[in-house]
Amino acid sequence: MMGSVYALLGIGFSLSWGVMKVINISHAAFGLLAAFLAHSLLQWLGIDPILSVVISIPFLFLIACFIYRFLIAPITQAKEVIVSSMILTFGIAIILENLMLLIWSPDPRVMTTGYTSKVFVLGPFYFQYPRLAGFFMAVIGVLIIQFFLKKTYTGKAVRAAWQQPEAAQLYGVNLTRISMITFGLAVASAGAGGICMAFLYTFDPHTHNLWLIYLFLVVIVGGVGNVLGTALAGLIVGVITGLSLAFLPYQWVNLLTFGLLMIILIFRPQGLFQSEV
Amino acid sequence: MISSSSRRIFAVITVLLACLAVFPWIGVPVYFVSLLFIVCMFVSLSTSWNLIGGYAGYLSFGHVAFFGIGAYTTALIAKGLHLSHFWTILSSVPAGFVAMLVAIAVGYPCLRLRGPYFAVVTLCFAFVVDLGVKNLDILGGPEGLWLKSPELPIETIRAILFEAMLVTMVLSIALSYWTGRSKFGAGLRAIKEDEEVAQTMAINAPRLKMQAFALSAFCPGMAGGIYAYYLTYIHTDIVFDMMISILIVLMALFGGGGTLMGPIIGAVLLTLINEGLSTFVKAELARIIYGCLFIGVIIYLPNGIMEFFKNDRCRFRMNKLKGIKSELRIEP
Repeated sequence: MMGSVYALLGIGFSLSWGVMKVINISHAAFGLLAAFLAHSLLQWLGIDPILSVVISIPFLFLIACFIYRFLIAPITQAKEVIVSSMILTFGIAIILENLMLLIWSPDPRVMTTGYTSKVFVLGPFYFQYPRLAGFFMAVIGVLIIQFFLKKTYTGKAVRAAWQQPEAAQLYGVNLTRISMITFGLAVASAGAGGICMAFLYTFDPHTHNLWLIYLFLVVIVGGVGNVLGTALAGLIVGVITGLSLAFLPYQWVNLLTFGLLMIILIFRPQGLFQSEV
Repeated sequence: MISSSSRRIFAVITVLLACLAVFPWIGVPVYFVSLLFIVCMFVSLSTSWNLIGGYAGYLSFGHVAFFGIGAYTTALIAKGLHLSHFWTILSSVPAGFVAMLVAIAVGYPCLRLRGPYFAVVTLCFAFVVDLGVKNLDILGGPEGLWLKSPELPIETIRAILFEAMLVTMVLSIALSYWTGRSKFGAGLRAIKEDEEVAQTMAINAPRLKMQAFALSAFCPGMAGGIYAYYLTYIHTDIVFDMMISILIVLMALFGGGGTLMGPIIGAVLLTLINEGLSTFVKAELARIIYGCLFIGVIIYLPNGIMEFFKNDRCRFRMNKLKGIKSELRIEP
């Protein structure tokens, strides 16, 4: 169940890595920002976190477009885009983290809604409502992105730019605009993912570092730029962490996760579902 | 001509080092000695990171692991053998070798990966070591380890440890200097430019990368050992702090990767700026300014601060020419 949320978080990350060769270290930080926004909206105005997605997604989309236009676009001509983008977005992550610290203080938060402790019973299974909500939001998010990539013109252009940036440009694809939209979407999906994560776990302004590791895990297991692979990988990671929680003491679970990521990286850096890099 | 000018540079460096070495003994407040200690530590860390990250272009985000391994090795040796103070400082040398051995073991599988994959695998390695040490009770576990502090005035202890760190720094800079001028360094640069081509030119890329990785782990191990004794208390959250790892990378790239002076300038500048900012403004605001700094440097000086100093007119024109050439190439 948590797996689907990892998948939603991971897809945007995978998109920006795959299409623009930008590794967005601040991806999880944007997710966290959305989580904090949702939390505040819930506290001050009583807006349901699920509804707050409607507010925070356009907001994040605009911020991301802005960031892309003025900060990332200038460096895409550099020789080592990946390296410089990592440093740049790390700078953004630091700024976001400390802005959140300034605004929301370092106390850990929990998203508490009217239905937090309610349980949905289906035969022998018990589902907690917040988890269900997170799950459905994640599934819908993944489907929307998949639909966008396969059916809309912009999505097709994104996929074309992915395969052959120069050829796509020849066919009249405006690469800068496409990249901007992709980046905006990626960050917006991070926002949705962040809100889902907030349903499942406590969070504070430093949490995004841990989320980032899960992002890398999900994206690399799924194969960079592979949306369905990322979704599947999210589920697998969710199942593995869930199962290992049942058998191992809590502090060993993260160790297992990182060890697993190392092993996968060493033996199959192209991801589990792709035959070659 | 060349030999006289290089002799002059050598003289200047010797005088500078002598000044640095004398600095803690002339009665300055202990705060400045500590600050200089941290500066030296980061200079040696980012200079050694530069061997693999700058010259060979393999971005290792796991160098904090070597630092932490060095710290824990020193602490364990000192505790296990009940060493005297002098020998405790010297035990940072075997700590460096332990870090080097770990680097060889880890580098063997990991150095086959490239680009971001290598960055991520080393990041994971650092986390694995961190969590592993935290969960092992023999290594102090979540409580950390205490080292005995010598019964001397704090100024003297800090001064002695500063000298030790200075030696480490000089060692790492000498290594970097040698790498920059030797065949070894040329091979690493070739790997950075294009690994396949380098290999067809009979450069043994895997071996060179391995040597660079092992060498770049040695000085962080030593620095870690000295730092452990400086703190007298080590905990995984302190010596395996991911921030250190990221800072090392940023300092080197900030100054200019693959150059001798770049990491030194980057480390000195960033440490001083961080210290200065956090003295005058709120910690969060300081961090925000820090973040803006990274963004600014990456956008305006993508090859690091060193670029700024080299930017005389001739070079500027060359860059312009290169820019035109690359534009021509992209144009279909």
